[in-house]
Amino acid sequence: MAKSSKASKVRKARKAPAASAKPSAASDPAIAATPTLVSSQAQGKADSGQPEKLEPVLDWMNKTRQWGMRVKPGKAGLRLGDLNVGIYGEIPMQWSDQSRNPRGAVPRKGMPPVGYSVREKVGMWADSAADLYEEAIQRRWAPATDVPWNTIDKLPDDIERAICQVCTELSQFANVEIETIAGWQHQMVYGYHEVKQYLATASFDAAKHYECFRKRALVNGGGLGVEGPGQVNRMILESSGGWSATVAYLVLVRAVFTMTILKYLARHAYNDAERFIYEHVLQDKARLLTYGLDHLHFAVAHDDEQPAVLATVLAIGDRVLTRDLRDPALREALAIIFGRGIRGARRQGMETYEEMMADFMQTHLGYCRWLGIARAPAEAMPPPLNRHAGASVAA
Amino acid sequence: MAKFPSVRWFDAVREVFNGDESVQGGGGGYCNCVAGMKVGKDIFVLTFEGVECTDAVKADDAALDDVDFYLDMPPADWREMIANIHTNNGADRHHTLNTLDLEREDGLATSHHGDQYREDLFFRYNQTFQYFFNASARIRTDF
Repeated sequence: MAKSSKASKVRKARKAPAASAKPSAASDPAIAATPTLVSSQAQGKADSGQPEKLEPVLDWMNKTRQWGMRVKPGKAGLRLGDLNVGIYGEIPMQWSDQSRNPRGAVPRKGMPPVGYSVREKVGMWADSAADLYEEAIQRRWAPATDVPWNTIDKLPDDIERAICQVCTELSQFANVEIETIAGWQHQMVYGYHEVKQYLATASFDAAKHYECFRKRALVNGGGLGVEGPGQVNRMILESSGGWSATVAYLVLVRAVFTMTILKYLARHAYNDAERFIYEHVLQDKARLLTYGLDHLHFAVAHDDEQPAVLATVLAIGDRVLTRDLRDPALREALAIIFGRGIRGARRQGMETYEEMMADFMQTHLGYCRWLGIARAPAEAMPPPLNRHAGASVAA
Repeated sequence: MAKFPSVRWFDAVREVFNGDESVQGGGGGYCNCVAGMKVGKDIFVLTFEGVECTDAVKADDAALDDVDFYLDMPPADWREMIANIHTNNGADRHHTLNTLDLEREDGLATSHHGDQYREDLFFRYNQTFQYFFNASARIRTDF
């Protein structure tokens, strides 16, 4: 009650002068050139019908940690990373501020803590994040209008069903990516805003991927297929031991797997629309891969325990991935696409699938080696990963 | 008519690519990297800055130490790719950089430094490189 009464007094105090009087900056507090507020004293006087300006305090005006910045745009415009000058470019290893205070701003006293769980640079940082953010914005594309949808002609039923099944599972992968990133993003402190901003674009990219795979499934007389087994999805979504461990699953396992599938799908695309989708999603995924590798590289370099922790995390991941790979739907659908039909899937399609899986393991293990994460020898991995890893070593 | 491979050929392609705004959107656009092209024993270094390919120079083997990555194919395979691009006004699915990378035992894109971050620029900017080579369909090439 008291609140609404106060509000009504404020409204009253801000009431414009009589319609006949032309308002001026000097007389109308709502458009005054200098900052004006209505004080409680003024509210009291407002009751007598006389609005009164508050003398501006302006004490906030001299509160800055560094003034006089003049960041100049370069050839590529004014990029996020260009702003890291002076104290604004100081990115400490620990961010103790638990509020939403933007990096470089003067903290306000008495702000209640937000409760971020990822507060150390080692837990989220990647030097490339600001560049990746700019790149994601600059190299964006729109599934609705950039994909040449009209190049999709009627396909044999088995191939259409296979493409729709693969699109169903790829759209699920994308959805998991959105939820995973969003689930962690709000737990990350404000001090490392470059990472939070890049991840916002990664989340948007994943939404776009969800969209275009769903569109491909529905655009040519088919529809969505069977839901994937989802063990890896659950593993990624439920990973709670830290963002770095989640990145290991999301990037080193899932993104590398998806990128390998996309490369092979692009090579075996049935029309320009599909090729466009696979190649462009691949490019977006390459940014996530770069962030992931860059972050894990940073984490490994600054935390001696990380390589061993990540090795354990990935060993668990192998067993979960194995369970997904035993489900035939994705494997058979890919083989049909690669073999250009069920008949071709039996031989050529499955051979290409095996080649793709060997490529996946080779790439995955290569990244682990580069990061200094020890992995079990091929023969110690659960089947069928041991076969794929063995083939990748032989290759 | 420009002979492949030569700086003149790459310059002619650069001119077409840099002047084509349609390749600067829709998934193309800003690309910042230095890429080597190894055509048998001939080596060229291309610099991509912003939306343009700003430079093409002939180089020696040592230059490959400094590039982010380089594309390595025997001359016959380069010729086949460029002829295919010319015939189809852009690479068909058997001759894209992605397919060529998959089909070559050691891949198409590689590096001396082994820095994954820099090597992966090939995939991050893949469409731009494809648009670049597709631009060669609009020049007359002599082998």
